[in-house]
Amino acid sequence: MSSLSLAYLMPALPEIFMALSGLGLLVVGVFLGNGGTRTISWSVAVSFAVAALLLLGLDWDRIETFNGMFVLDRFTGFMKLFVLVGLITSVMISVRFLYQVQIARFEYPVLMLFAGLGMMIMISANNMLVLYMGLELQSLALYVLAAFRRDQNRAAEAGIKYFILGALASGMLLFGTSMIYGYTGSIDFDVIGQTLANNPVADTGLIVGLVFVLVSMAFKVSAVPFHMWTPDVYEGAPTSVTAFFAIVPKLAAMAILVRVLYGPFMSISADWQQIIWFMAAASLIVSSFAGLAQKNIKRLMAYSSIGNMGYALIGVAAGTQVGVGAVVLYMIIYMIMTAGVFSVILMMRRNGIGAEDIEDLSGLSTNSPLLAAALAILLFSMAGIPPMAGFFGKLLIFNAAVSAGMFNLAVLGVLASVVAAFYYLRIIKVMYFDEAVDPFDQQIAFSKRAVLLLSVLFITLFILKPDALIATSMSAAAALFTG
Amino acid sequence: MITSLAFYLFASILVLSALMVITARNPVHSVLFLILGFFNAAGLFVLLGAEFIAMILVIVYVGAVAVLFLFVVMMLDISFSDLRKGAMQYVPMGLVIGAVLLLEFFTLFGAWQFAPEAMGQVSAPIAADSELTNTEALGQLVYTKYFLPFQLAGLILLVAMIGAIVLTHRQRSGVYKQRVAEQFARKREDAMEVRKVSSGSGA
Amino acid sequence: MELIIVFAPLLAFLTAGLFGKQIGDAGAQFVTCAGVIIAAFFSVVMFMDVVFDGDTRVITLATWMSSGDFQVNWALRFDQLTAVMLCVINIVSACVHVYSIGYMSHDKAKGRFMAYLSLFTFAMLMLVTSDNLVQLFFGWEGVGLASYLLIGFWNHKDSANKAAVKAFIVNRVGDFGLALGIMATFVVFGTVQFDAIFEQAEEMSALTFDFLGFELHALTTISLLLFMGAVGKSAQLGLHTWLPDAMEGPTPVSALSHAATMVTAGVFLLARFSPVFEYAPFALEVVTVVGACTAFVAATIGLTQFDIKRVIAYSTMSQLGYMFFAIGVSAYGAAIFHLMTHAFFKALLFLGAGSVIHAMSDEQDMRKMGSIWKEIPYTYVMMWIGSLALAGMPFFAGYFSKDIILEAAFAADSKVGMFAFWMGIAAALMTAFYSWRLILMTFHGKPRASKKVMDHLHESPSVMISPLVVLATGALFAGYVFYGGFVGSAHHDTEVHHEVTALGDSHVEEEPVDTFKWDKEHFWGEAIKVLPENDTVEAAHSVPFWVKKLPIVVGLVGIFFAYVVYLWREGLAVKIAAAFAPLHRLFFNKWYFDELYDRIFVTKAWSLGRFFSVRGDRKTIDGFGPDGISSLSMRMGGVFSKFQSGFLFQYAFIMIIGLFALVTWLMYRITLGGY
Repeated sequence: MSSLSLAYLMPALPEIFMALSGLGLLVVGVFLGNGGTRTISWSVAVSFAVAALLLLGLDWDRIETFNGMFVLDRFTGFMKLFVLVGLITSVMISVRFLYQVQIARFEYPVLMLFAGLGMMIMISANNMLVLYMGLELQSLALYVLAAFRRDQNRAAEAGIKYFILGALASGMLLFGTSMIYGYTGSIDFDVIGQTLANNPVADTGLIVGLVFVLVSMAFKVSAVPFHMWTPDVYEGAPTSVTAFFAIVPKLAAMAILVRVLYGPFMSISADWQQIIWFMAAASLIVSSFAGLAQKNIKRLMAYSSIGNMGYALIGVAAGTQVGVGAVVLYMIIYMIMTAGVFSVILMMRRNGIGAEDIEDLSGLSTNSPLLAAALAILLFSMAGIPPMAGFFGKLLIFNAAVSAGMFNLAVLGVLASVVAAFYYLRIIKVMYFDEAVDPFDQQIAFSKRAVLLLSVLFITLFILKPDALIATSMSAAAALFTG
Repeated sequence: MITSLAFYLFASILVLSALMVITARNPVHSVLFLILGFFNAAGLFVLLGAEFIAMILVIVYVGAVAVLFLFVVMMLDISFSDLRKGAMQYVPMGLVIGAVLLLEFFTLFGAWQFAPEAMGQVSAPIAADSELTNTEALGQLVYTKYFLPFQLAGLILLVAMIGAIVLTHRQRSGVYKQRVAEQFARKREDAMEVRKVSSGSGA
Repeated sequence: MELIIVFAPLLAFLTAGLFGKQIGDAGAQFVTCAGVIIAAFFSVVMFMDVVFDGDTRVITLATWMSSGDFQVNWALRFDQLTAVMLCVINIVSACVHVYSIGYMSHDKAKGRFMAYLSLFTFAMLMLVTSDNLVQLFFGWEGVGLASYLLIGFWNHKDSANKAAVKAFIVNRVGDFGLALGIMATFVVFGTVQFDAIFEQAEEMSALTFDFLGFELHALTTISLLLFMGAVGKSAQLGLHTWLPDAMEGPTPVSALSHAATMVTAGVFLLARFSPVFEYAPFALEVVTVVGACTAFVAATIGLTQFDIKRVIAYSTMSQLGYMFFAIGVSAYGAAIFHLMTHAFFKALLFLGAGSVIHAMSDEQDMRKMGSIWKEIPYTYVMMWIGSLALAGMPFFAGYFSKDIILEAAFAADSKVGMFAFWMGIAAALMTAFYSWRLILMTFHGKPRASKKVMDHLHESPSVMISPLVVLATGALFAGYVFYGGFVGSAHHDTEVHHEVTALGDSHVEEEPVDTFKWDKEHFWGEAIKVLPENDTVEAAHSVPFWVKKLPIVVGLVGIFFAYVVYLWREGLAVKIAAAFAPLHRLFFNKWYFDELYDRIFVTKAWSLGRFFSVRGDRKTIDGFGPDGISSLSMRMGGVFSKFQSGFLFQYAFIMIIGLFALVTWLMYRITLGGY
């Protein structure tokens, strides 16, 4: 084995930095007490930013380290970069909120840091064991965050539910891994991939093992029918946590899903494509209809995210490089839109109490026209209406499906977008056309405004130069197909 | 001969006790059956030559986890029959699904095939003629080849600890605690006051 | 020049939208009007350039995006079809912009309204200048979005909000078809670029592809899907329910988007795709039948409505039906011809109706009008011109275009063609009837409005009347002048020549034209493709005499009946309605489309929604109030008690079932299914 030289650690430098700063900030936090939450939060945001800079400073040509357990290439680098952006955003929009609902404890940002670390490791995992470890590190922090408002039964229930179902999913991951190991004798992605490539007709047991692994990942991206936790957790968790859940972990989970499927299991793609196909279709149908019946905006966003994962899964199911590129682009646009929407939801406070119902948005256009316009643009984009960025995401996804010959799925996707347009539109209708209720509290943290502004600018200006991001996404996707 | 006899003994007791864990009426019994199950599982590991895992199972799961369970179950007065009511409605359907799933696994494992190169690439095999014990072999791997997962496991435990503290620890007022530093820093002047008491007037 | 035409309205929108506060209402009005008028001027220049010099061109602005084989450029395409549309859009839009200054003078948000109008115009221009399907889809959705904003502009009116949402959702259904059509096109042709598609169309005419086990003829599928998009946007039967409701928007909007431009986008799309439709005869038949039915049904509904704008809206729908069945019989030129004339006279009617409404203090119900023609003479004249054109009276624009459509349908010499012809004749009869019903109820008879309204009655300001004059010019002459160019060389009415001197308005449509090579082949160039055996327009010039004259006859009959029923024998209308009560009820309730859709789709979707979300909005905690006891055991107990509620079991169970289903399915497929 190679010695622990700097070159050996180099590719994981951002992760190592995050781990160390997490430990350090934990100690600082203990000394500062809960009064230091603001300081710790911003320090965490800075840590993410530094990690992002470190990541950018690295060479993204494919390199493996830690005995081939950890990999950095264009795809992982690109996805990690956006995960970090999402993390920074989530921290930024939650600081004020923590004080508002009196859960300002210094552990909150530290847990976010560790969750982020878990995601980074997960994306870069090149070994089932590391994948599991990253996933657990992430999940455990998320469970705690979901229940962070422990004096509220709703939050406690959300945490417990998420935890138990998540444990079930983790169990499936391990069980599936053991079956994969049983066939190939390895948990290393490269070796698994090589073995499967040598044996085109793999044992059924291996494929069933893959199903188990897929199910646990589907749980993380909340694809139907493994989505049941999502609405409850989204509703029950503190809003800033919901925002975090919606923005970042989805991106990370989708990234590792793509890496597993298009890495070691690429040679049996005919088998998993059908599974993903099924999940995508189910997600689209369930989310678009269930969204209609929601009154709570957080629950609505839960179904919206399920639906969006359905679209992304269409791209995954395509099994082509164009498909992966479309997924990458779609997830990034989704993340940016969601960040914008949640920064609005976090602004929905009336007399110091958070408002969560769609009805609470009534007459927002008269009370704060700019906010209403921003939310309307974001929702139009979510509904996939041109010329917003959301349209391009869907367009490329459908294009990928069509060029892979998956017409049914593309048709279903378009159909679902028609139904889903209705519930997004309902919010707009409420904002613009309903009788105005009391205005929201006017003090809005600068960071939230900044996030909202950036998000809206991105959504509207994307049309001018879509090729920049599309080309980058495609080249990130290409990294999965060269090796 | 002896080995296979022992295997079937351990295995059947393991399955039976697992069954008892979920069917026993008294939760304390459930936990005790769980402990029995752990012991038998440890026995199976010993048969496989994985004595380290067997011992860990006994020490950690039996010694710590299960005993903790026992405490919790005894301290919290939970009516498990009430809890079970909710689950009962799913039993028929669950049984059907479970049975079919079991059948599927039987066919799966019955016809199991290894990839031809599987044996050659088993992740961390111990050489057949090696004199190493389990513990030594693991020790050689954990800090070298599996350095990354090992560190991550540490972080996971840290997060679990933070989580437990965040969710349960709370500041209570009116609770007396020992404050060592304060107690040490206390001087005679803080605690005592010398007064001259004039005789006849009382304290 | 090309860029100015397309981007002047956008600039105007951005200026008025972003700096509305700084430049004020007057500034916004000036900027937007100036933007659109400039665009209109250059459109005419462009028209002459393209049509007379045959200078068609495609200007590529940038590579927009590429993903794999999927390449889209950002390009503007200017050919004859585009040039015609550009003129129509920009001229009508300019009129509407100017008119709005007067019409919206009492409104609080004038600047915003003008900005929306310009945005709409820009989106429409994007639609017609696009060089590929994706860009077209942008314009398509853009006009939908702008129209959504405009319909719901008076958002204090609940009905306006509902109408806006409805328009949007119904259009989404059509867009669904269009989106699928684009995808299918990409699958079949491997590109979304118009030229490339049209070049390959002939080779692909025998191609079939497999979908859900059905063998489908590729071009027919594509055509029908595109047609579905057109049905939604152009309010054809089935997806038409949004159009009448959309009349809740301000009247200038109705004139611009729901009469002249947006609703004709479907016609434009189909005409643009004529090279594909020509190889999909079945699709053409479907288009014919749907168009003919729409023309008829809409006319029947128009007979019974009382809201002045709704009558015109149904008439629009009916006229769109004409355009579609014209396309169905391959008379694309005739369809575009009618599109153009219709744009003028229908915008005129709408703006005239707006003028009436303005005069009547925002009253739209014709039962509360009457006997006002003396007070608002200009508006009255304008409404007459518009109605004459609509009814297809000789020498007015509608006469030329409607006749050629009916003749083409007859000349198509097929079952669907004859069906369309007779439906069209019936609709023409009803059109004339309800047009004069509108005029007579609104302007003549006894005054039925309140005294206060009557006292307040006033003619509209000149800023509103002058756009009407421009449009009226179009309604008068557009038909005669362009007949030759749009639909052929042979002309059967020579006596109109001396009419052309009236009204010395220096209107663009009267540009001196070189009638020498003024026939449809030269005019359309490559923009429209008709197979020789389908050339019904050519055949239309040699139909029997009675076919040529029948539309005029039924028009006159319709007008005559209207006079009988609504002026000379008052009260007859009620009797007739009573005599045909079931029929009247059917027409009056718009053939119960709304009710049917509500029953079938809307309620079903909601109940499905509730089913999938398991428990919708039930509060997570029921009957577990905060009791202030925070000891760990109690809290744990509380949490455990929720296990009992079953949700957690249920969730876990569903996960297991999902897993089980996947495993079982795979095992079945691999072991038993043979793989």
